[in-house]
Amino acid sequence: MARVLINLPRTARRGEVIEIRTLIQHVMETGYRPRADGSVAPRDIITHFACLYNNEEVFAAELAPAIAANPFLSFSLVAAESGILAFTWTGDNGFEQTETRSLTVT
Amino acid sequence: MRICVALSVMVALPAVAAPPPGASSCAGCHGGGGMPVLAGQPAEAIAGAMLAYKAGQGSPTVMDRIARGFTEAEIRAIAAWVAVSR
Amino acid sequence: MRRRALLGAALLAAPALAQAAPQVVVIGGGFGGAAAARALHRLGVAVTLVERDATYLACPFSNAVIAGLREMEAQRFGYDGLRREGVAVVHQAARTVEDRRVVLADGGALPFDRLVMAPGIALHPDAIPGLDTEAMPHAWRAGPQTLLLRRQLEAMEDGGLVVLSVPANPYRCPPGPYERASLIAHYLKTRKPRSKLILLDAKDAFSKQRLFEEAWAALYPDLLEWVPLSSGGKVVEVDAAARVVRTEFGEHQAAVANIIPPQSAGRIAQAAGLTDRSGWCPVDPVSFESRQRPGIHLIGDAIIAGAMPKSAFAAHAQARVCAEAVAALLRGEAPAPPKLINTCYSLVEPGYGISIAGVYQPKDGLLADVPGAGGVSPLGAPAKVRAAEAGYAEDWFRTVTADAFG
Repeated sequence: MARVLINLPRTARRGEVIEIRTLIQHVMETGYRPRADGSVAPRDIITHFACLYNNEEVFAAELAPAIAANPFLSFSLVAAESGILAFTWTGDNGFEQTETRSLTVT
Repeated sequence: MRICVALSVMVALPAVAAPPPGASSCAGCHGGGGMPVLAGQPAEAIAGAMLAYKAGQGSPTVMDRIARGFTEAEIRAIAAWVAVSR
Repeated sequence: MRRRALLGAALLAAPALAQAAPQVVVIGGGFGGAAAARALHRLGVAVTLVERDATYLACPFSNAVIAGLREMEAQRFGYDGLRREGVAVVHQAARTVEDRRVVLADGGALPFDRLVMAPGIALHPDAIPGLDTEAMPHAWRAGPQTLLLRRQLEAMEDGGLVVLSVPANPYRCPPGPYERASLIAHYLKTRKPRSKLILLDAKDAFSKQRLFEEAWAALYPDLLEWVPLSSGGKVVEVDAAARVVRTEFGEHQAAVANIIPPQSAGRIAQAAGLTDRSGWCPVDPVSFESRQRPGIHLIGDAIIAGAMPKSAFAAHAQARVCAEAVAALLRGEAPAPPKLINTCYSLVEPGYGISIAGVYQPKDGLLADVPGAGGVSPLGAPAKVRAAEAGYAEDWFRTVTADAFG
């Protein structure tokens, strides 16, 4: 399990635009970097991120080898209804991790 | 090589000679505030100490890391200059 | 008209430096500027130092002042030594740099054939919304801010949280925030042991990191917590009145907050058009001449020096090299490629010093590390090595201040 940081408000007014910040601790090994012994470190990156709001995808991103370690993503969405936000990172070597947060809309 | 060293000593003798590469940084520490003062010491002794640190001898804490940044010719030129500098 | 005449005279006289000495002005009387002025004078150049303040307060060892281990007066240096030697010292702020003359705050002007600028840094507290440096001092320039932070620590009740925030690179004195955190932790450990210190960092790695972490684990295990960028260490805003510090992922209620803001080259460098888009000054690594304006040389924290860090030691080493280069150029000669040294000590508690050193040479238009040289103190070294390096730090400070200020 990678360490994940997520920042979003617990509550929001209906129709309010809220900002969400996410960070996952990940090496984002490019697949091009030579190691001390001359061999190339195999690629190990996060390739995809998605945010589902009550099971509907509201934000997604494709990540490439040029993206720095510990990718930080920030995006905004309209608080339409109370519910669950699910954040999923997928990547090389079968990596997949999902975190959920609840949002109360008043 | 030896001739080169001797020449650089002679060139460095006048007090106004420009410092060889690296020499002007020495004054940051070796000017009488507690660490050894180099001016007035024999150039051969200064160069000998620097070359020993470069070779990993002695137990300096910083000068080994610095000495490794200079060639033997550079070290001898620096030693000749700081020995006669003010 | 007068300027034209002066310039002509300078050109004619260039081969005979000592007779009709060309005018060199140095702006800024810190470690770099003061050392450059003295070095130029010794090389027979007529030099005028322009410095706003009557005395200079040194940053190295000011972290010890904050922690109550040293008094501010030990940081103060004057310019009488320079005057006695024959360096003209003008206590005025430099307002602008025109073509071959410096305009002073009082409207006067100093003509120059070559100008050396050691303008130091400008701090940008406005980059952090809500920041009021009277409530949350930066203490990143020695002076009233240093004493304000010290008083705040002294006034804090035992059990309080001290928050120290470090900007992203580049900034003045790369290991400085970590030395400060160490010495504040020492103050808390000895005076207010129920307190805590959180070090919020906009980076994931820092200078002498393994040495600091080794010392922190031994000396301040439950007291000092480092929060790197990837653990949410970047401060995005503060509420100065409420002493709340907000990061990208959370917030901290501080009793004392020391927010070190992002920095750039000093304001006069920006006003003179010497900075690039980074906010710092690109220079030629042999002559330290500006890449933006010929005839103007820059040294110290304000420049883009490649691998060479922004330290007093580096500024002093650059000052010596720059003075030689300026003198050579005034004689009509090309300056020789230099090598420069930097050594930087940090204290993690009284009598426990660690260091980083480097040797630099021009490469691809910047100052690059000489391969195989430099590096940090060994990990796991015995106490006598740490004590020796703490002593060397003081020796260096005495020597370099004597060399810069006389």
